[in-house]
Amino acid sequence: MLGDITLGQYYPGNSFVHCLDPRTKILVTLLLIVAIFLAQSVPAYVALWVMVFFVIAISKLPFLLVFKSVKPLLFIILLTLAMHVFVGQGETVLYQWKFIRITQEGIAMGIKMSMRLMLLLMISSVLTFTTSPIVLTDGIESLLRPFRCIGVPAHELAMMMTIALRFIPTLLEETDRIIKAQTSRGADFQSGNILQKAKNMLPILIPLFISAFRRADDLAVAMEARCYRGGEGRTRMHQLAYRGGDAAAFVFGIAMIVFLVLLRWGPLAAKL
Amino acid sequence: METKQQAPFIDIKDLSHIYTDTENNEVLALDKVNLAIRPGEFVAVIGTNGSGKSTLARHLNALLLPSEGTVKIQGMDTLDETKLWEIRQNVGMVFQNPDNQIVAAVVEEDVAFGPENIGVPPDEIRQRVEDALKAVGMTEYRTRAPHLLSGGQKQRVAIAGTLALGSNCIVLDEPTAMLDPQGRKEIVGTVRKLNKEKHITVVYITHNMVEAIHADRVVVMKKGRILFQGTPQEVFSRVEELEELGLEAPLAAKVAFELRKTGMKLPQGIITNEDLAQALA
Repeated sequence: MLGDITLGQYYPGNSFVHCLDPRTKILVTLLLIVAIFLAQSVPAYVALWVMVFFVIAISKLPFLLVFKSVKPLLFIILLTLAMHVFVGQGETVLYQWKFIRITQEGIAMGIKMSMRLMLLLMISSVLTFTTSPIVLTDGIESLLRPFRCIGVPAHELAMMMTIALRFIPTLLEETDRIIKAQTSRGADFQSGNILQKAKNMLPILIPLFISAFRRADDLAVAMEARCYRGGEGRTRMHQLAYRGGDAAAFVFGIAMIVFLVLLRWGPLAAKL
Repeated sequence: METKQQAPFIDIKDLSHIYTDTENNEVLALDKVNLAIRPGEFVAVIGTNGSGKSTLARHLNALLLPSEGTVKIQGMDTLDETKLWEIRQNVGMVFQNPDNQIVAAVVEEDVAFGPENIGVPPDEIRQRVEDALKAVGMTEYRTRAPHLLSGGQKQRVAIAGTLALGSNCIVLDEPTAMLDPQGRKEIVGTVRKLNKEKHITVVYITHNMVEAIHADRVVVMKKGRILFQGTPQEVFSRVEELEELGLEAPLAAKVAFELRKTGMKLPQGIITNEDLAQALA
């Protein structure tokens, strides 16, 4: 019923991007997101598209796979486009009927906005396609560590994510089993209105919660038996380490920002 | 090989454990238990539900602390808080449910969990993980996700986790109760191998008598007390007593017992099918 699930959307490989340190990937992704927000002119968008294609190419990901990551938000993108196109602001009115007002500026704005969303989705999905959730967790823990002094529980957050990643498949299996058990006793999960359906979910949720609590209890004992006592004094088997490629990635991210700042405010900006 | 003079690895003296149940009644789970286990010994603890065997297991690495009496691991008292982590390193635990004791989402990461907790340097962790996975025959699964493994494989990963922690004693609390026959075989085989080849002290808690056959000593528990103990041959020959307790002696021992009743002359101490076949031939 729930079938094979893949956690996250990791696409295994060993390209240059796959081998980067997760911290680098997270930070450079943030840099590129900033770069995307800086874009305003047509050349800037052209540059961003070239950049995204370049990143996908060196990640050795199938282009179609990355394009598909836009799909979940397709509706919002189309809505953004429609809003800007049909109720756009601007001088050059192309068509007007009651509240519908299509302007040249509106169309341009709509295209830019939806492109911005698409670029954002694609660049951040490159991060999740090339980094397994486990490695990503390590990266997040490491990046949050400096903020521990202001009370960010870096280790605890990472531990919770690790345990969640570990137990999601187990709990899904369990859900599947409970659904089958309840169905065999005549439970009906299909018919009725939404409220009825939600109510029918109770025979699944209650056993699932009870079992989850029992598992949590068992796990806590097992962790204690294995000398777990929080993040203090803990070492890791896999140490994260920056390499040459990471420096290149940072340079690339910063160069993109500088380039887009120049395109927007630089000496050439006025002519574009 | 006999090491009777050697100081015991685990030394339990007059151990009692009292807990309060949900209705606020005091329950005596362990009642003045005395037990000494030698280094490298393979001890099986058998008993029905509520016999206190799991409670006993949890006293062995200070998950529970004595209400009365003492538990000493290599001379370290479990009541001594400063020795807590050393005791837990020495005595590894494997629990019944294979799913609920694996922490990480990758096999090797899980095996590394213990040594990471006690602050072992990364290079040494890698070495320990490799050795531990090799010892339980799970090296080829090192990068797998635990939920894709069979029950027996998961339990072997759990055993590897205790080895990587540096435990020279493993307490297994009904490790095969949730496994299929194949998984059972894997676990019993792995535990025996570790005991024989690496001289790991094993405390094996079970209610499956067949798994206790290869132990050096079998301890029978009932209602928080040790009823009797001895070699598997001695214990399993007491077929009627075991049955009274609700425990079932291994089939071969039972058959031998019944045959003897009909007047057939069979040697004592028949507990495995091979023994029986040989005696009958």
